[in-house]
Parts: sequence; structure tokens; C-alpha cells
Amino acid sequence: MFPEIISPQILALIVQATLDTLQMVAIAASLGTLFGLPLGVFLATSKRGELFAAPVTNAVLGTLVNATRSTPFIILVVAIIPFTRLIAGTSIGTQAAIVPLTVASTPFIARLIEGAIREVDQGLVEAARAMGATPVQIVRKVLVPEALPAIALGLTLAVVSLIGFSAMVGAVGGGGLGDLGIRYGYQRFMPEVMAAVVAVLIVLVQAVQSIGDRLARRLNKRLRHA
Amino acid sequence: MNAPVKPDAFRVGAGLLPVSPPPIIRFEQIGKAYPGRGAQGAVTALTGIDLDVPKGVIVGVIGRSGAGKSTLIRLVNGLERATEGRLLIDGEDVTGLTEAGWRSRRRATGMIFQHFNLLSSRTVFDNVALPLEIAGTPKAEIGEKVTRLLDLVGLTDKRGRYPAELSGGQKQRVGIARALATDPKVLLCDEATSALDPETTKAILDLLKQVNRDLGITILLITHEMPVIKEICDRVAVIEDGRIVEEGDVFSVLTRPKHPTTARFVEAVTGVEVPAYLAGRIHEQARPGDDTVLRITFTGENATAPVISRLSSTIGVDVNILAGRIDAIAGKPFGSLLVSVPTREPELAAILGALNSLELKAEVIGHVS
Repeated sequence: MFPEIISPQILALIVQATLDTLQMVAIAASLGTLFGLPLGVFLATSKRGELFAAPVTNAVLGTLVNATRSTPFIILVVAIIPFTRLIAGTSIGTQAAIVPLTVASTPFIARLIEGAIREVDQGLVEAARAMGATPVQIVRKVLVPEALPAIALGLTLAVVSLIGFSAMVGAVGGGGLGDLGIRYGYQRFMPEVMAAVVAVLIVLVQAVQSIGDRLARRLNKRLRHA
Repeated sequence: MNAPVKPDAFRVGAGLLPVSPPPIIRFEQIGKAYPGRGAQGAVTALTGIDLDVPKGVIVGVIGRSGAGKSTLIRLVNGLERATEGRLLIDGEDVTGLTEAGWRSRRRATGMIFQHFNLLSSRTVFDNVALPLEIAGTPKAEIGEKVTRLLDLVGLTDKRGRYPAELSGGQKQRVGIARALATDPKVLLCDEATSALDPETTKAILDLLKQVNRDLGITILLITHEMPVIKEICDRVAVIEDGRIVEEGDVFSVLTRPKHPTTARFVEAVTGVEVPAYLAGRIHEQARPGDDTVLRITFTGENATAPVISRLSSTIGVDVNILAGRIDAIAGKPFGSLLVSVPTREPELAAILGALNSLELKAEVIGHVS
């Protein structure tokens, strides 16, 4: 149905933009999880009286996380341009856009993981302590495995948010679907491009959500029929 | 019924042996206070706890919620630390141990919980394997050991199931297998049957009894249910407001409770209520033609004596049984009967005299017309 309304050139642009978005989101989500997982675990276990009690560090990191999360993404992108240039060598382009996306998603993912871990029954931690488990063993063998279904759902949410964030990096020359929609759909008055972009985004988000839900359900052994 | 016979030398007052073996756990003047926070002052959880847990024995600590029993049991594996007094385990002072010191000791102490605390993400097999993984046991050995433990608790066919697929009793069996994985000397039971129905409770208590008898594991349990104490404990301590108010072997404590709190707990398992149809008609002052209601408490040997028929035949009165319960505590019969006899002298005095000569406790509850 598209060929009549959308030229092959535009179609190629949409395909390229989709690939760019997927690339940015996948890499940023992976890096965000890589940094966010330990950060989230630490936030969840370092308050007073907890496994890795370090209340001061916890408070400092908590504030930093909140500060990052309360900065609007578009402002964060601009504000950390020097950092982006340091890491990516440039501040323009799809690859460079991965830097602010990662910076924004790390604290977000950390909070999601913190929440998932705090939901784990403290009785399990006590049982593990009673077995002689070290704090690291408790994290690896109890907290993370037990929180995994919730973590999977949290990461799904993070990826969906990242797809939204990625639309804004066009502002600094990052590619992707958002950028395409703004430049062609809005600035060049091509509503059919805008519609196509929105359609692809909807499909992407739907796919991510249903994969995440399915994964979480498979990981969750709690809801099996007895 | 067939409670294992424990050496009486372990019992206070038995005095068969001059020296008892050292207890496996000894609390000496243990106190525990939680520091106050902000406006709240410090909270005292335990005060002046003296308690011995002899090797191979099942000791129960009974108390209402908030009495301090959870804190008490958690001192034994260092999940809580005493702020006063000394704690000796196997003769060794563990009062000042660091967390790392406790960690290696905890393998010698198993623990089971009211809500089982099984990992929902692990199968039955992997739950039982967890303490062994933590201890760094080689995989082959883990497989062999877990298989043996699942056989012991009767869950061989559930090894690949997840906790959510099990009943409460099965979950607690997994908990017991897990607690036994590291070959502990002591098993701590934190309200282990409080979330289970009576029938399942019985089965779990039987399993604990078996573990105690066959593996020689000392059991310290806390509960708020006297039937649990009655069913499996050799010794009992009653705790209230952070203090032990009564302690002794189960039979003496249950048959002759000294502290009012103990008496209230005991009533739940041995007491006989005055039946409702009678309660409203009982009055204190005897009127002509009344019957007298007596409560006869049986302890020990005389619980099996044919008391009622003897009263009828020797004194020649009709004894009407209103309610009764004869039970076994620590393998000895115990119970009470509610009877009515004609309020007539000298027969009444003769009845009371005869009961007292049999060393039965007889008390007049009141009179009914």
C-alpha cells in the first residue's frame, strides 16, 4: 500500500531511521543496564542496617540519580555535550547520541532495579544469612534471581522510554525515527512520513512490550498453578 | 504417644547423674536492647535470660507475639546480637563474634521459618542445594546429598517443582531438608507450624521428632501454640515481656504451671471448659437437692486408675461425667474431668478425701440444681 504514497527514497529513509533507532536504543539500554544494575543493587542494599550499609554513599548516589532524572532529557543532551565529545569523539550523529541516552537511562534503570530488589521478601535474605551466605552471595543467589521477573518488566519500561527519548536526539544530529518525523513529516509538510514514523514506533513499542511481558512471565515461577 | 525416652539426667531435679553433659546452647543473663531512634527511647527486647538447651533435646520457648521469642531464637545464629550477658554454644563463648565469625558458624545451625522463606525462582532441588552452594560444596556431592535429603522428607517426586506448586506442608518439608543440608547440630524452628493447618502441623512435628531422634539434632523452637510444645518438646520455657517466667520439663510445667501466663497457655491444651448448657446454671451456694460440680485433674500414673468406678463402688454415690479430656504430655497421661455428684454429707467429704488420697487435684467448681 505504501509505494503509491511513499517513494522508494522515503521508504529507504524510514528503514535507515528504524535501524538507527534500534541501534541507539539497543546499545543505550545495554550500557544502561550494565551500569544501572550494580547501581540499583547498591541503592537497594546500602541504607543503614542493610547488607552493604553505606548510608552516606547511598544518599550521595541517590541525590545524583534524582538530579539526572529530574533534568529534562533534551536539556541533558545539550548540557553534557562536552562529555559526549570526550567519549564519542564527536557530539553529532547517531553514535554520539548513544552517550546522552545511556546517561539518561542508567539512573532510570538503577531506580527500577532498586525497586525490584526492594520487593524481594526480607525473609529470604534472612534465610540466606542463616545459611552463612556472604552479602555478595545474597545478591547473586537470592536478590537478583528473585527480582528477575520485576527487573525484566522494568527493563521493558526502560526500553520503551528510550525509544521515546531517542526521538529527541535529532536535536543534536542524531538520526532515527524521531528525527525523520520532525525533518520530513513536520518541517517538509509530509504527513505521510509522519504517519509512517508513528506507525513504526507503535509497532516497535508493542513488540518490545510483548517480548518483555512474555519474558517476565516465563521468569516468574510464583504464579504457577499449584 | 510414643515419645522418645530422653535420659532423665537432662531433666532438672531428676538427679540421677551428678553431672549433666554441658548444654549445647547456654544463655547467661542475656539482655537485648534496640537503640532508640529520634523521639523513641531504647526498646528492651530481652532481659536476664538464663536458659540451657541440652544436647539432643527438643526445647520449646512459648510466648505471645512481641514477648521476645523471635529475638531469642535469632541470637543463637547471630542474626541478632545480645547487648548483655554471655551466649555459649557447644561450650564456646560466641558473644563477641563478628559477622564473619558468625558466617562460618551458621553452617552448624539450621533454621526453618513460619513462612518457609523458599526462593520462588528455584526448584525444590535447587532450594535444598542453596546452603551447599553457599558453602562451596562440589556439585556431585550436592546432587547426592540433596537427593538423600529429599528422600528423608518424602519429596523425591517433587524435586523439579517450584515452591508455588507445593502445599504449605510440602514447603515446610523443603525448608527442613534445606536446613539439614549442612549437617547442623542444632535446628532452630521459628514458628515453623504456625502457618499450617492442624493435620499438616502434626505431620511436620512428627518429622521434626524423627529428625531429633534419628539424627540426634538438638531442636530449639519458638511458638505461641501450646499444642506444639505438648506434642514434641522435652523442655519448655515460657517467655513474657522479654523475661523467662517459667522453665522446666514439659510434663511438670504443663501439669503444675506456676506462673499465670503459663497457666493460660496450659488451659488451651489440658483445660476442660464447663459446658455451655451448664455454665449458666452453676451457682456458688449449695441449695438442698443440688449436685456439686467437681473438676478432677489427673497427672501421671493415676490418670489411668479407674477413679470414677472406685468412687461409685466404695462410697456408693452416682458420679455423673459432664466433660473430660485425658491426654498425653511428654508420653505421660494427663487430663481433667468435670463431674457432678449429689451434694450430700458425709459422702461429699468422703469423695474429696478419696480423690486427695489418690493425689488427684479435686476442686469444687460450684453447684447445680
